[in-house]
This record gives sequence, C-alpha cells and structure tokens, in this order.
Amino acid sequence: MDLKELRRTRRGRFMGSMLPYVGYIIQSGVAMVFLFVLIVFSAWYTSLLQNVPEGIPIRWIMLAILLPAAVHSSFRTYLQTPDTIFLLPQGHRMKEYFAPSWVSGNVWKIIRLLFVLITLWPLYIRTDDSPKRLLFTILILIAVKLIASYGLWKEIAMLSRPMAGIFTFLRWAVGGLIIAAWLWQHSGRSLIFMVLLAAAYLVALSVPARHAVPWERLITMEKNQGGRALMVLGWFVDVPGREQRVYPRRYLSKWGARLPWRKDTAYRYLLTKSFARGDIFGIIMRISVLALLLNWLNHDSYFGTAIYLFFLFIIGVQLSALRKLHSESFWLTVYPFPEGSKADNTTRFVFRAHLVVALILGLPFLASIGDRLLPVIGTFAAGILVSFLFKAYLSRKAARMADEDL
Amino acid sequence: MNNSPVLQITGLSGGYSLNKPVLHDIALQVQPGEMVGLIGLNGAGKSTTMKHILGLMSPHKGDITVKGKTRAEDPIGYHNALTFVPESPLLYDEMTVREHVEFTARAYGVEQSDYETRTLHLAKLFHMEDKMDTLSTHLSKGMKQKVMIMCAFVARPALYVIDEPFLGLDPLGIRSLLDFMMDLKKSGSSILLSSHILSTIENYCDRFIVLHKGKVIAQGTLAEIAATTGLQGLTLEQLFYELVQGGK
Repeated sequence: MDLKELRRTRRGRFMGSMLPYVGYIIQSGVAMVFLFVLIVFSAWYTSLLQNVPEGIPIRWIMLAILLPAAVHSSFRTYLQTPDTIFLLPQGHRMKEYFAPSWVSGNVWKIIRLLFVLITLWPLYIRTDDSPKRLLFTILILIAVKLIASYGLWKEIAMLSRPMAGIFTFLRWAVGGLIIAAWLWQHSGRSLIFMVLLAAAYLVALSVPARHAVPWERLITMEKNQGGRALMVLGWFVDVPGREQRVYPRRYLSKWGARLPWRKDTAYRYLLTKSFARGDIFGIIMRISVLALLLNWLNHDSYFGTAIYLFFLFIIGVQLSALRKLHSESFWLTVYPFPEGSKADNTTRFVFRAHLVVALILGLPFLASIGDRLLPVIGTFAAGILVSFLFKAYLSRKAARMADEDL
Repeated sequence: MNNSPVLQITGLSGGYSLNKPVLHDIALQVQPGEMVGLIGLNGAGKSTTMKHILGLMSPHKGDITVKGKTRAEDPIGYHNALTFVPESPLLYDEMTVREHVEFTARAYGVEQSDYETRTLHLAKLFHMEDKMDTLSTHLSKGMKQKVMIMCAFVARPALYVIDEPFLGLDPLGIRSLLDFMMDLKKSGSSILLSSHILSTIENYCDRFIVLHKGKVIAQGTLAEIAATTGLQGLTLEQLFYELVQGGK
C-alpha cells in the first residue's frame, strides 16, 4: 500500500470538494466586506506608521501577536474512522503517511508567521530602542514554530490526557519565554537561554508514555479540522451538514432550561444547547474580548465606533452560521415541529444574541458619554441597527428557503 | 374502543429510484394495542418500509395513514402520532441524555410534570440514572441505544415504530424494553417492531409480517401463518426459514 499516495488522493478529494465554492466566495458580499476592511486597515496602519505615538509597548505587542502565530499548530491528516480497521496493520509504516501532513502544516504556518512578522516589522523598528535584526528574528521564530509543532505531535500521542494538557501549557510557556528572551535580552545571552530551554523541553517531551499511532485522537482532530474548514467556508456560502466541535462547558448547562415549555420553542432548546457547547460560542467570546479591549482603547473617537461596528458585523456573520446547524438533522424531519419553527427560532435566537453582544460591546463608550453624548448614542443606535439588518437578512433567507421547498 | 387501525398501508410501492422499486404493493395494518413484528432478511425492505412510514421517503404508489390521516393531509398530527427508535442511535453531540429526553418531550408537547415523572421512571428502568447528565459522545453504543428508546418512550404517541431495538442492548436492557413495550401495549399503544431475534419477539408480538424481496409473503398470528403455509407446530424461526428458503 502506497501510504503517501493515499494521503495525496484524500487531500486532492478534499480540495476538490472545496473548489466549487471558490466562485461563490468571490461573488459573496462577505468577501467584499473583508476586502474593504483590509483596505481600511492598510490605510490606518500606514497613517500609524507615519505618526507613531510615543511610548507604545512594542515588545509586548510583538510578543502578544507573534506568540500565537508561532506556537499554534495543527495538521491535516485526512484520517477517517474506518482507518482504525483498514490502516491498522500499516501502523508501523504510518510515518510515511504523516510526514507530508507535518511538512505542509508547518510550511503554511511558517508563511503565516512570516506575513505577521513582516507586517509588524516596520512598527517594531520605528519604536524599539534597540531592534533585533530581521534575519535572526525570522530564524528564531521558525525554530519556535518547528519546536511547537513537534511538541504538539508528541502531545497528541500521549497516553495520559492530563499530562498532554500540562505539555500544552509547557509548549506555550516555552514559546513565550523564547520570544520574550529574544525581544528583551541581549542577543548572545538570550541565545544561550533559548538553546537550554528548548533542549530541556525536547528532553521532557520524550518522558511521557505514548501511543505508537494515536488513531482515535487523530481522527477526532481531523474531524474538527475539516469542520473548521467548512465553517470558514460557511461564512461565504451555504455548506450543508457541517459538524461542529463540542465542548462540555458545564457552567452553561442550565442555559435553555427556562425556555417556555412549548412545541414551538423546542427547536430553540436544541439550538441553545448547540450554541452553548459549540465552537461558534468560543469564537464569539474571543472576538468579543478583543473588541471590548479595542473599543476601550478607542472609546473617545469615531475610529472606536468603526471598530465596534466592524466587530459586530463579524459576530453577526458568526451567529448567522447557526442557520446551517442541524440542517440535515434526522430528528427535525421526524419530530412534529410546527411549520417554519426552525427558521423562526434561529432568527429570534441570533437576533437576541446579537443584540446582547451589541449592548455589551458598546459599554466602553459609556466612559466618554459626558463629553460625547450624541456620538455615543449614535454608536449604540448603529450597533442596534446592525442587529436588525442581520435579522432582516436571516428572515429573507428563511423566506427564500421556504419558497424553494414548496 | 375505536377499532380503526392506527397504521394502515395500502398498495405501497417505493424505493430509492423510480425505475427500481424496493417495495412492491405492500399492504399491512397495525391495530390499537397491538404489537406487530416486521421480519425479513437483510435487504427485504423492512427499513425502507419504516422510512416510508416516517415520511423520509415518498411512495411511488399507495397510501400510508396514521390514525386515519396521511402525512400530506396533516403533517404535524401525523408526526405527533408516532415515534421512532432507529437501528443505529442518532444523537446530538451537544446534548446530555437528560437534554435529549427533554428536547423530545418539548417537541411532542408532553406536559412538563409528565416529562419529569416519565424521565425518572425510564432512567431507573434502563439503569441510566447516573448517566443522565453525560454528553452523548461519552456514552457506549448500548447506552446510546437506551437514550433513543427513552426519547421514544417519553412521548406517548399512538404508534411506536421500532427498528432493531435490541442491537447493542445488554440482557437487562432487553428485558426492560420488552416489559415496557408490553405495558405500553396494555395501555392501548401500538408497536411496529422489526427484529432478527425471532425467538425473543415470538413470545411478545401479537402478529407477524414477513417481508421478502420487498413483498409481504405472509402475515398473521403464528398459528395463522402456520395454517396458511401448512407447517403446523413450528417455531417462528423455523417458519420464517421455511418461508424464505423454501426449507432448503
């Protein structure tokens, strides 16, 4: 069995399944908005570079942006559930299969890392008192990237999940310390520290017991990766049958329990549970924290309002993806739901969640309400308007789907 | 007592392709308070028949009525009158056992107090008390099947359509399921049950429908089928073997 060829075929099949959507992405309004945002960001960044404010904590900014870009790793293995039976006898040869996954995963993420670094670099060299040399910085970041990828691969194979969790923390800590040492310390001293730290980390990785091939974990990860790719695609076009990653989130287990006990809200019960434990909730939380921070930093300017509306738009796009959740659910066909119940409940849920987020994200602007009463009211009004626009968009989509079903 | 059938299928032909029907002129009915065993070899058309009853497939010809109404006439009333236990558990990864049962109860308009009483009873009956707040992804296959059964039984429709319910169940689970189905039957509910465990269902079903290559080749009580085929004194398994293999 040619394992390299098998992986190549599977990758080709996945890419082939994505290809038909490319045209729709180009045509979609969301793609145009992203392009517009990119142009606005470029203009803002250029003006920032021309008038860099005093006292920017550039090393902290570099660390905060470069750390996730360097340490976050993932691999597409294209493994499938039946592989636990049909590829099991090939376990001793699976390195041949996984090698291209590791290489391509790293190549793309190194390109992403370099893009981030090159974007940040002009700001860094203008603001830092003693900036490091670009070439050495690139080499060190690539080294961090490769060490982190290797670390992740070993974590996946670890028998003990709590131990793997500890090593995940260790991976981020080691990556952070190496980048921080390079940015803050004298080059020679920091190099010695980095080499010692990396060596200690690599030795530590060899200690925990591991599976030869962690089949089930790799298959779960592959499902999540595939699901994420479809989710991104879902921002632009309708992608049926996307499975989302599920997190227990026990602290949200009561959410939905107080919904009115009626048939017409039964779907909202399912949707609430799916949202509370799905990946869209996590994405929205992360975006909201970032938006709150940026809104706070810019609460006394119209630029803050623009940031606020931009993030509300992004969150609206994410929430709208709930429309596609359970689109192929068996039980929604069998259970006696009132007609139009799914679409109605989804629109209401998305609208309410969006409205709550709009109000929460607008809170930082209240700090300047004394000086800028009208702009602050206008900001809130614009935020609420964005929520209503998304509601109208979802209602229109639902009506169109109902027409098509007739 | 109303004696009109809960489920009536007349002249049903259907399948995945118009040119290649899987079912040929199926006619059967299930009366109130009756448990009917639908038996046949793999590919005989049992699951396809059930898919037609559930409205997942549209008949090429013929009619299916549940409580006298077709799905087209009254879709909500039709679905409200039946629940289904599939052969392979179909659960939402995002929900716990309790939430699945609650979701079903809400969808079928079960009163909240009834839901609570029934859930307690079902959890105890199927030994799932300590798993009620576990996410479905963390359950074994047998436990997932129990969740499907609990969901179907929390609603109290007129008709239960149950496809291979014993797969993956432990002996205690099988016994609990059979006992519960008998209780439902006594209370007037109807059950259409498909299974390959003929020795088990022989003692529980009132009548049997034998499907072979998409056709009903025999139906009735064990005695009626034996009389029709002239093979008296045989068990259901022996009769079935004679019917589909011609004794060879």
